[in-house]
Amino acid sequence: MSEAVVDRYEKREVLGEGTYGVVFKAIDRKTGQTVAIKKIRLGKQKEGVNFTALREIKLLKELKDPNIIELIDAYPNKGNLHLVFEFMETDLEAVIRDRNIFLSPADIKSYIQMTLKGLAFCHRKWVLHRDMKPNNLLIGPNGQLKLADFGLARLFGSPDRRFTHQVFARWYRAPELLFGAKQYGPGVDVWAAACIFAELLLRRPFLQGNSDIDQLGKIFAAFGTPKSLQWPDMVYLPDYVEYQHVPGQPLRTLFPMASDDCLDLLSKMFTYDPKSRISAQQALEHRYFTSIPPPTEPASLPRPPPKRESVNSRVSDFNPQDGPTVLSPPRKLRRVMPQREGFDINAQLTDTMDDHGNEIRQTAGERSGQAPMSLDFSVFGMRPPSRPTINSADRSHLKRKLDLEFQLPEEE
Amino acid sequence: MRSVAGLGQRLMADFTTSTHRAKWIFTPQDLKEKYKNANKRAKQTLEQHGTTQMKVDIDGSFSLVKPQNDAKDNADKHSRPKALKTEEEQLLRAFYEFKIQDVCDAFKFPRKIQATALIYFKRFYLQWSVMEHHPKNIMLTCIYAACKAEENHVSAEELGKGIEQDHQFILDNEMLSLGFDLIVYAPYRALEGFVNDLEEFYDEELVQSEILKSLHDSAKMEVDKIMRTEAPLLFPPGQLALAALRRSCEIHKVIDFDRYLKSMLSRQHPSHANSELRASMNTIDIMVNKLETPTSKDVKHIDRKLKSCLDPSSHEKSKKRKHRSKESSIDMS
Ligand SMILES: Nc1ncnc2c1ncn2[C@@H]1O[C@H](COP(=O)(O)OP(=O)(O)OP(=O)(O)O)[C@@H](O)[C@H]1O
Ligand SMILES: [Mg+2]
Repeated sequence: MSEAVVDRYEKREVLGEGTYGVVFKAIDRKTGQTVAIKKIRLGKQKEGVNFTALREIKLLKELKDPNIIELIDAYPNKGNLHLVFEFMETDLEAVIRDRNIFLSPADIKSYIQMTLKGLAFCHRKWVLHRDMKPNNLLIGPNGQLKLADFGLARLFGSPDRRFTHQVFARWYRAPELLFGAKQYGPGVDVWAAACIFAELLLRRPFLQGNSDIDQLGKIFAAFGTPKSLQWPDMVYLPDYVEYQHVPGQPLRTLFPMASDDCLDLLSKMFTYDPKSRISAQQALEHRYFTSIPPPTEPASLPRPPPKRESVNSRVSDFNPQDGPTVLSPPRKLRRVMPQREGFDINAQLTDTMDDHGNEIRQTAGERSGQAPMSLDFSVFGMRPPSRPTINSADRSHLKRKLDLEFQLPEEE
Repeated sequence: MRSVAGLGQRLMADFTTSTHRAKWIFTPQDLKEKYKNANKRAKQTLEQHGTTQMKVDIDGSFSLVKPQNDAKDNADKHSRPKALKTEEEQLLRAFYEFKIQDVCDAFKFPRKIQATALIYFKRFYLQWSVMEHHPKNIMLTCIYAACKAEENHVSAEELGKGIEQDHQFILDNEMLSLGFDLIVYAPYRALEGFVNDLEEFYDEELVQSEILKSLHDSAKMEVDKIMRTEAPLLFPPGQLALAALRRSCEIHKVIDFDRYLKSMLSRQHPSHANSELRASMNTIDIMVNKLETPTSKDVKHIDRKLKSCLDPSSHEKSKKRKHRSKESSIDMS
């Protein structure tokens, strides 16, 4: 039974490694489609299939949407559980980090719109994502952005359901979570989406706290310490502590380049009280998305080269094709090469010419300006800021919390 | 109040795009065919190999447990274990479905988990014969998987201990879980929505809340029964809930269900064919009325037959034992 399934996929190179196992590229012999297979070790675990994997499978099976990663198949083989996903070329973190990429206001609008669409769909289906961050927003071959990594996602809907607050990487955690809220809703995902929005505008993580306390400090320094009128329930939260009052800054000074509509939406997503925070669906209906400029078509969005096939400036010199000219300020032309592994120029070239239209556009854009300067982080010994993920301490905490949580009946 | 009714409805909206609806709602003919096919396959295996037992590997792949050669060679046509008939399989499944509710009650699991486990169990035996996988093991697996899927953790060990079963069985089988379509829609939520809606509908007539509560309670018990019929494989949860509510209204005789149904349909589903819905409810009704709850006495002989299908050597032994006891009884006389 499972042999047939295994034969269906032709294994290729490793794409990366997550917490639960290796992800590799494969070709689906049945459809010719390129897929990514996440291999999760089962072993002789005391409790069978691990919860994270089970959650991801369970929810993704039900969530079919253009802005949600597609789980194509799931099958066990040789002591491993295999999850077959549609193949994605890159992720939003890579886009944000790539200094070689200029993001126009229309591009930013497009990326955040797709993020919110995916999120609104999840919420409509009563699913909280709980791990929204740029690196979990994958980008497909046609530029579509899709929510991925549903290992922390949960169903909500019962009003009295209690959850752990140890979710999200810290920089994306909503204030109610930082104050230890156990009953929370889709607002936590909206806050994280607001952080991603801000990150697209700033091209760096917006609120980079180095502890939970510091994270709240960073939030308050930006928006001002919340007054009880602004957020009446705050003082009842389990870990609430009084913070010294700070005034906060006008959004305009934090995001000098953003339009008024953009700032208006951003402020509604960054609302302290989760009850008055804008929902993902309402955010999509905000005038920001109908005012000019219209969001860029996904296929025309600037993207870094596909993962593992690192770009080399020489490649673009070989490229005889003329793409559309991209107007962008000269400062975007600083080329930053994050460390990547070996590449094959020929493969790269064919790839570029075959189906990555927008890379052609990018490189063409570069050629129209001054010569790109290579700025390699590894050469200068500086690295892009490392992002906190849910660290191991958090994870074990999380595990404990979740175990406790499982003791409680879920509903009824 | 309105929001709760709305909630029920929105959950139904999710149902329309669910794997539950897309892959696990069948026609009566579908079901018949599936049961027949599974039975036929197991029978053939029995004829060819003298056994039907499937082994489950840690990763969920299956293989036939080949009997020892001597057992196979010795097995001439007449001493071969007899295969179960489809009706016998059905009775055995019914027995274990009742057991699922028993076990879940014993662990005080919420109704949702009970329903999820039952649906997993039903789905599993659309693909396999009880001769291939012993329903006792599958029952445990389904309960365990349901707990896990509903994020209500209970350890396999604990579950095994609670019912004196080897928990390794549970884990070995976990991967069988049904093509990973783990989210199932039970009728309890929908029922809650309808009861709240009903309360609103009768508001001005001041139906006492105790009456409504006992109406709701007995409707839940009706759902419990419906869950053990084939109806959950044939009808969406909303229709199961309505059928249960109608049965409950018939018991209590205080609420005019027909009047409510008419008003509910005209308010919420003006396009929905009333007659179609009534036909579904009638079918569900018949199924509940015919529902069997076999006792262990009823299934004892089937279970014995099953044992020898799964393990032919036990068949031989039991024959010998019988033989010996006959001899000894002769001696006695
Ligand atoms: N659908 C996909 N297409 C292409 N590459 C993918 C896909 N999914 C995952 N990857 C690659 O595999 C890597 C590991 O993914 P995975 O989701 O297991 O872990 P992660 O997100 O990196 O870490 P964590 O488990 O902490 O969330 C990713 O970083 C990415 O490079
Ligand atoms: Mg990730």
